[in-house]
Amino acid sequence: MAFVEQHIHDEPKTFWSKYIVSYDHKVIGKQFLWFGIFFLLVGGLMALMIRWALAFPGEPFPIIGGLMFPHTGGVIPPDTYAMLFTMHGTIMIFYAITPILIGAFGNFCIPLLIGARDMIFPTLNMLSFWFQMASGIILLVSLCLPLGAAAGGWTSYPTLSTTLGQQGLGQTLWTISLFLLGVSSTMGAVNYITTIITLRAPGMGYFKMPLTVWGLWLTSILNAIFIPVLGAGLLLLTCDRIFGTTFFLAGAAATSGKGDPILFQHVFWIFGHPEVYILILPAWGIVSDLLSFFARKPAFGYKMTALSLSAITILSTLVYGHHMYTTQMSPLLTQSFMTLTMLISIPSAIFFANWLGTLWKGSIRFTSPMLFAMGVVFVFGLGGLTGLYLASASVDLYLHDTYFVVGHFHYTMAASVLLGGFAGIYFWMPKMFGRLMNECLAKWHFWLTIIPLNGIFMGMMIMGYAGMHRRLYNPFIYEFMNKLIPINTFVTWCAIAMGLAQGLFIYNFIKTIFFSKKQPLASNNPWEVGTLEWQIPSPAPHYNYKEIPVVKCGPHEFGNPNLTTGRDFQYQTEELVD
Amino acid sequence: MVQSAVAMTVVLCSFAMLFATMFLGYFLLRSNADVWPPVEIEGMPQGIPLVSTVFILLSSVTYYFFEHKAQAKKLLFSLTIVFGALFLLSQWLLWGSLADAGIFVSDGMVPSMVYDFTWLHAAHIGLALILLFWLGFFVFFKTEKLTKLKVINVGKFWHFLGVVWLLMYLLIFVL
Amino acid sequence: MNFSLVERLQGILAQAESVADTASKTYSLWERMLPPEDISSTGHLITWLFNYTTYVNLFWFALVCIGLFGFAFVYSHKRHKKAYYTHGNEKKHLLITAFIGLAVFLSVDMVITKVSSRDIREVIWNFPEDSDDLIKVQVYAQQWAWNFRYAGRDGEFNTDDDVVLLNDMVIPVGKKVMIQMTSKDVIHSFFLPNVRLKADAIPGRFAKLWFDTNKIGKYEIACAEMCGIHHYLMKAHLTVLSEEDYASWLNEQEEIAIATNDTENPDLRWGWAWGSK
Repeated sequence: MAFVEQHIHDEPKTFWSKYIVSYDHKVIGKQFLWFGIFFLLVGGLMALMIRWALAFPGEPFPIIGGLMFPHTGGVIPPDTYAMLFTMHGTIMIFYAITPILIGAFGNFCIPLLIGARDMIFPTLNMLSFWFQMASGIILLVSLCLPLGAAAGGWTSYPTLSTTLGQQGLGQTLWTISLFLLGVSSTMGAVNYITTIITLRAPGMGYFKMPLTVWGLWLTSILNAIFIPVLGAGLLLLTCDRIFGTTFFLAGAAATSGKGDPILFQHVFWIFGHPEVYILILPAWGIVSDLLSFFARKPAFGYKMTALSLSAITILSTLVYGHHMYTTQMSPLLTQSFMTLTMLISIPSAIFFANWLGTLWKGSIRFTSPMLFAMGVVFVFGLGGLTGLYLASASVDLYLHDTYFVVGHFHYTMAASVLLGGFAGIYFWMPKMFGRLMNECLAKWHFWLTIIPLNGIFMGMMIMGYAGMHRRLYNPFIYEFMNKLIPINTFVTWCAIAMGLAQGLFIYNFIKTIFFSKKQPLASNNPWEVGTLEWQIPSPAPHYNYKEIPVVKCGPHEFGNPNLTTGRDFQYQTEELVD
Repeated sequence: MVQSAVAMTVVLCSFAMLFATMFLGYFLLRSNADVWPPVEIEGMPQGIPLVSTVFILLSSVTYYFFEHKAQAKKLLFSLTIVFGALFLLSQWLLWGSLADAGIFVSDGMVPSMVYDFTWLHAAHIGLALILLFWLGFFVFFKTEKLTKLKVINVGKFWHFLGVVWLLMYLLIFVL
Repeated sequence: MNFSLVERLQGILAQAESVADTASKTYSLWERMLPPEDISSTGHLITWLFNYTTYVNLFWFALVCIGLFGFAFVYSHKRHKKAYYTHGNEKKHLLITAFIGLAVFLSVDMVITKVSSRDIREVIWNFPEDSDDLIKVQVYAQQWAWNFRYAGRDGEFNTDDDVVLLNDMVIPVGKKVMIQMTSKDVIHSFFLPNVRLKADAIPGRFAKLWFDTNKIGKYEIACAEMCGIHHYLMKAHLTVLSEEDYASWLNEQEEIAIATNDTENPDLRWGWAWGSK
């Protein structure tokens, strides 16, 4: 593909053009980051409220409970509880992980890591952020409605999500805001895919890209293909709610014509399964790079890792039925989905082995990004393996809709992605905002996050196997679950501990960005890493590269015994020494 | 600017998935239905959809000649827009005649599908018409900036929608 | 009464401790982690597969941990100053990784796929033939209760003499029970923890479930699909009686049904002819 060099445009001067309507991918990336961190905190608060209601039923929620629920004396009522778990799921997936991992890292890192001056379509990029912002505002508005926000679970199965189950505007606004978010994601996907295909620096073949870019590229491909499927499903649901169509109406909901609620489940999960891979692929890419960077040796089996990630991307499109075993699809279909789901183990095991191979015989520096990256290896290993229980159709008939599932997807989605996201933030902070974050606080943040995290989600899997199912306002109505009360309380205390630990991150983050003017800026390359973005100043100048770099070697050239420069790594612009 | 060609291909993949989902829904409906055609769509108008098909095919033909012929470019381009607008008009009439035949959205899944599918397609035609008007600015006024790539990209989108309509017509109204 | 936050937290802790005390009087931690008592003849299949998956998972995860923690210790910068430069793309490396991938697949995935497929095909979804010995129950889920229907004295479903119960299912021990179910309004899920099974009750569709029990007692039925505000209250009772007790219970219920069923009430006729679905 013919490489096109983007010209260097003038630096924006006004506050408005610099920070609000900026076309600069770095600024848009930061906008996504702030947006995502805000919603992460909102979603986290909701999680704490859910845990509070489960561990201390009947107790008013501390501090803000009285303000939020005056008519119950601060106790969380059942209808609010339903809204809480619905919005917690929606917010964490679409308004926290998507903006941070895909919006922020995608935008910030892709052009820098491939040696470009900006995304290929800066205006589209800016629009993508503002669509996401509009979507977020609509979602927040839905929280303030008299009949409340959507409360049918983030999966919003009909007929509960039709006007039979959810009267009022909340569910409709939920559907519309997700649709807008889908538009934003698709715009971003088009931008990322086209940028990676056409703007890689001369010499950077696909197999010389950092694995972070691979992860983001594969995510964008899945996004471009499957977000429209969700869009179609949401459109049909909105039409059912507003225009009186009958796609998903059945039973008492089908007052005029009849539809099929299972159609929604098919459409939703055709999107939904690739979506969970969309969420994890950037983190996998980041971890693959960071393990190599801080073990000071090349990524083991780089090509195999890239190909395994691609294989998983393709396989992820074929397995969605494993979310629907209990709807009794034909046995043939059930078994096919089960077999295909199991196949994903092969490429997963391969890139996992490659991760461990990267650490093997390395010279590991335990910086905060490395600690978080290694944390991802641990939690994803655990979480991924627990998926096997759920892939078996027979065992799933017991475990479906229990806390086992909740534990599994939190290990793979929340824990892995969160830890990967933190790794990325600590790592790219100097390039984004100019200074390194405080390492001591970062390490405390790591340990105080990962230990309670395991307590929470392992506790959930234990409770799930013991039979506790999901989305229950008060599980202890059931006698068989009463023995789980202490485990439940333990999970809540871990959640509170983990929640409080994030304060360390917030403090560190805010202080580094806004209150470190006295400290000098970081050097160009504080982590001593060879990818392209570490050859330019910290923070990156608005034009990124004064001269477009010419790539001569791969992104993981560490520890080459033939190096003579006194460094233990090579920049990607240097000829490979041999 | 080959980048725009790549981008348009990606965008078309996305839109293709949107329509593919609708086709999937329709396919599932039909294969699971006990009786076809169901009573809810008895009296479905046949003439107007045929007229729509003719209009959109003509518009693709005129656009093709606009792309490849050296003469009468402005005329061919204008005809494309005219036929596109006529297509939209015929869709409007289609919805009217569906209502006249007593087929309403709320009657069931099949009527819902017919209406929704055609609404979705018409919305994209609307978008495409806006793109055509944008291109028209270059055809009629700033002709020096009318690049082959712009023409090809808009063409891809227009022909794509034509193909989608053809499939819809065949699957919903004919078969 | 106005308690300070600290006093409230102290109160909560005391409460938690007392609950834990009461609870811990009867349960050890291990006992808490176990699923509810398995009273079915098919539940052991699921327990076996769960346990097998756990053993192989523990094995492979132990290897991952040995790699992760072991390498972190042995190859830390302090202990191992110079990294070993390899791209991991030589033939032997590729063979080792491919071997690992296949080993995981064969030891875990292949086995559990085969076992689970067999269990689904031959047991769990291998529905029993219609016979007089089969206990047939129709289940109608609604927001927020479970309705159960027995055929009544005439042996036909959806007739005036059907035994219709709310939130109560009674079955005899040792006999196969066949359930057909649907929902009135939204999707619910019929969850029998003691039988290790669930099936979604979907409006507009019929689902099937079969199971049998081997222990008399009172157990719980739960709804396992979010169905609205009072989803958590959709508890029903499963009572397993001896065959004689069941026979006399059913007899008594049939008498009551014939005497007291309100045949004018159309809501009573939510059932359907058994063989038709």
